[in-house]
Amino acid sequence: MSNLFVRKATGLVRSWSVMDAFIYALFSINLITLGLYSFSQMYYFEGGMVNALIISAIFIFFEVVVYAALISVMPRSGGDYVWQSRILGGAVGFILAVTGWWFILWLWVPLYGDMFRHIVLVPLLGVLGAKETALWFAGTQNGAFTASLITLGIVSLFIVLGMKTYARIQKFSFYGGMLGLLIVIVLLLTGSPEAFKAGLESNAASMFGTGAGLYDQTVSLGTEAGAITPFAGGSLALVFLVIPYMVFFNLWPNWGATLYGEVRGATDFKRNMAGMGSALGITTLLGIVLLYAIRNTIGWDFYVQAGAAWWNYAWGFTDVTPALPVWPYPALLASFLTTNKLVQFLVVALMSLWWFGWCATVFLSSTRVIFAAAFDRLLPESVAKLDERTGTPVNALLLMVVPSVVVAYLFNYNLLNFQTLTLCSTLVIAVTFLGTTISAIVLPYTKPDLYRSSPIAKYNVLGIPLITVAGVIFGGFLVYLLYQWIFDPNLLYGIGISNTNSILYMLGNYVLAAVIYFGFKAYRKSKGIDLGKVQAEIPVE
Amino acid sequence: MTTIFFATDIHGSDICWSKFLNAGKFYNADQLILGGDMTGKAVVPFIHQGGSNYRITLLEQVFDVSTEDELTDMKKRVRSRGYYPYMTTPDEIAELEKDPQRVSEIFLAEVLKVVQQWMELADKKLEGTGMTVYCCPGNDDMDEVDEIVRSSRSVVLAEGQVTSLKSGHEMIASGWSNRTPWDTHREEDEDQLKVRYDAMTSQLKDPHNAIFNIHVPPYKSNLDEAPELDENLRPKMAGQSMKPVGSTALRRSIEEVQPLLGLHGHIHEGRGVSRIGKTLCINPGSMYEQGTLLGALVRLGKRKVEDYVLTTG
Repeated sequence: MSNLFVRKATGLVRSWSVMDAFIYALFSINLITLGLYSFSQMYYFEGGMVNALIISAIFIFFEVVVYAALISVMPRSGGDYVWQSRILGGAVGFILAVTGWWFILWLWVPLYGDMFRHIVLVPLLGVLGAKETALWFAGTQNGAFTASLITLGIVSLFIVLGMKTYARIQKFSFYGGMLGLLIVIVLLLTGSPEAFKAGLESNAASMFGTGAGLYDQTVSLGTEAGAITPFAGGSLALVFLVIPYMVFFNLWPNWGATLYGEVRGATDFKRNMAGMGSALGITTLLGIVLLYAIRNTIGWDFYVQAGAAWWNYAWGFTDVTPALPVWPYPALLASFLTTNKLVQFLVVALMSLWWFGWCATVFLSSTRVIFAAAFDRLLPESVAKLDERTGTPVNALLLMVVPSVVVAYLFNYNLLNFQTLTLCSTLVIAVTFLGTTISAIVLPYTKPDLYRSSPIAKYNVLGIPLITVAGVIFGGFLVYLLYQWIFDPNLLYGIGISNTNSILYMLGNYVLAAVIYFGFKAYRKSKGIDLGKVQAEIPVE
Repeated sequence: MTTIFFATDIHGSDICWSKFLNAGKFYNADQLILGGDMTGKAVVPFIHQGGSNYRITLLEQVFDVSTEDELTDMKKRVRSRGYYPYMTTPDEIAELEKDPQRVSEIFLAEVLKVVQQWMELADKKLEGTGMTVYCCPGNDDMDEVDEIVRSSRSVVLAEGQVTSLKSGHEMIASGWSNRTPWDTHREEDEDQLKVRYDAMTSQLKDPHNAIFNIHVPPYKSNLDEAPELDENLRPKMAGQSMKPVGSTALRRSIEEVQPLLGLHGHIHEGRGVSRIGKTLCINPGSMYEQGTLLGALVRLGKRKVEDYVLTTG
């Protein structure tokens, strides 16, 4: 539309840039926090890591298409909740969105906390010479729980500071984190296995008090733990078994979808897709480069064995403590290639920005869903109340913080076998994504007027709407993931029907959401308000 | 007990206007109130290509239509999104590029034509229902809109008035806003807004039981968070940087008068509820471009808000 025919009116702002969307999505699929954390846990798979990285990204690209399309059709805050409730109905929308974007994020808090200690606290304390404190954080349950509590404190602080400040932190973290990653890659590409081995022995000894023969002991422990995952290769079937774990890292380019809708110009399908898609593509590429660089200097086998040695002990499969008493963080290992303390500090400090730029995502989406539910009168009004002075959603925050403390306690002290629930955090959100994907598939047929007047109406594949085609492909991918997680025929993921605690925990979340929805619906009806109508479409004629 | 249905910022969307007129019956509401910004933001040229062929660019997509049915359908689509279809030729487009005054005239004519049609539709649909719509044009609405609304039998122009609703509640109304970066039709400085509000509130017989139907939301109410913009009116920090842009004068007025209810709009992404002292303030937000009518259903009891809910119709 020519600007000639656009008149003076409020709100006619230009759309955001591809770069904006790219940064947001890049932090959501965070190579350093989620990526390295996941890669280190995937030591027992037989399919190639790089193959799984590429193939999963291809499928997740269709997720990008689905979400970019839905944003452009209905660009409103609330994302999955809005789309599902408008297309599949209020009950489905509420139960899936609340469980996926609120309750299950309680479980993400100890995971964020675990990444915080491994990526920020331990390496920084190690480089600064605080050996005992570093080891306390790295290797004790009290240290892990404390890291979760500090995470809660930092995230709450960011929420209190407001979106504007957090956006600045995120932007600074992006550039700083990228610089750190560049240094790490250069160190790893210019180093040699011999230099690394020597650097590991000497630096680990000075920072964490390890004894001689650390490298060989780690190889031995890792081999005993069953470290077998190759860098690349493996049959397609074996690679496909790696993917349900890989997506713990890369299923999230759409994480900001609930926020995109708040920006005018979000109806631009191609721009949204370019932002999220390029983040997915570049993260995949960076992942391959980083893994290649790790192979070049740290050595692939040693990297996988070090991860195996750590997690085999952390998950309680052995009583033998790992020779390296800290999580084998590749950035820290890369810093061992130099003895210059300033460079070491710079590397781990810059790399820690990947965590700081990302951490508040655990509460941002959840507090938005809590607000949306309160606006729909499915929660008490006080839940959406903001503190007058700071603008902080105190009660919404408490609904995140208090349950998160309980879940973090259960997780870090591994009560009720809670640490086996790690992948539940992904499973439940994948169910939410499946609901949204089904909404996308049926949208052109159940809401034809809305679809035909949207910017995506012109995109078809063999006469079938692109959103439907992309939805079927991504939906099929999600169904495959859910099958592997729930039925787990090869006993690889540990959260399926063989893990009673896992099933009970997830079902408990859904039941809680259903109780809230139907309970409040009945309560409002008694007050004369039919919540069934608030999502229903008013007839036009 | 009475039930109010409130919607706002429908910006020229035919679908939203029709839904609004049907909302009373659909939600069992007793009273319809429309906030400001009834008029659309853009004209969409339908450029004649010869014969019965037209080329239309809508939302960056180019559409070629060649039959009467396709043309009718396309006009409907454009109108449903809140834009104004304008039949033209390549030659006229070239002339208009050099004549912004003429473009403004076309815009005004299209806007007024649609408002006229809306009033006629309201008179037809609401006749015999006993339902009246109270509205106050917003900062995006030209002055000429007022006369057309005044001529309606079923839509009451409430701007600057203290109106007594059937339920007995008094309502003040205004579509004027504090200053915006777009320099729109009805905006003024905060001290002038305060004078405007005081002129109405001083006439209230029962201020604590009153309704404020004011287009702008009160400052720092969480109903007025809009993306911070740079000098090119582009959102800063990927739109994550939000700032309050509501009226400080209105906030002061609400704090002083403490009415029962505040009904607001203006900031489409500011959907929500907020309490300022004892006053419940609501901004139902707007999704006019998707043809979705966002609204608020409020049940008012004796000197209190019994219950409320935000609707997505």
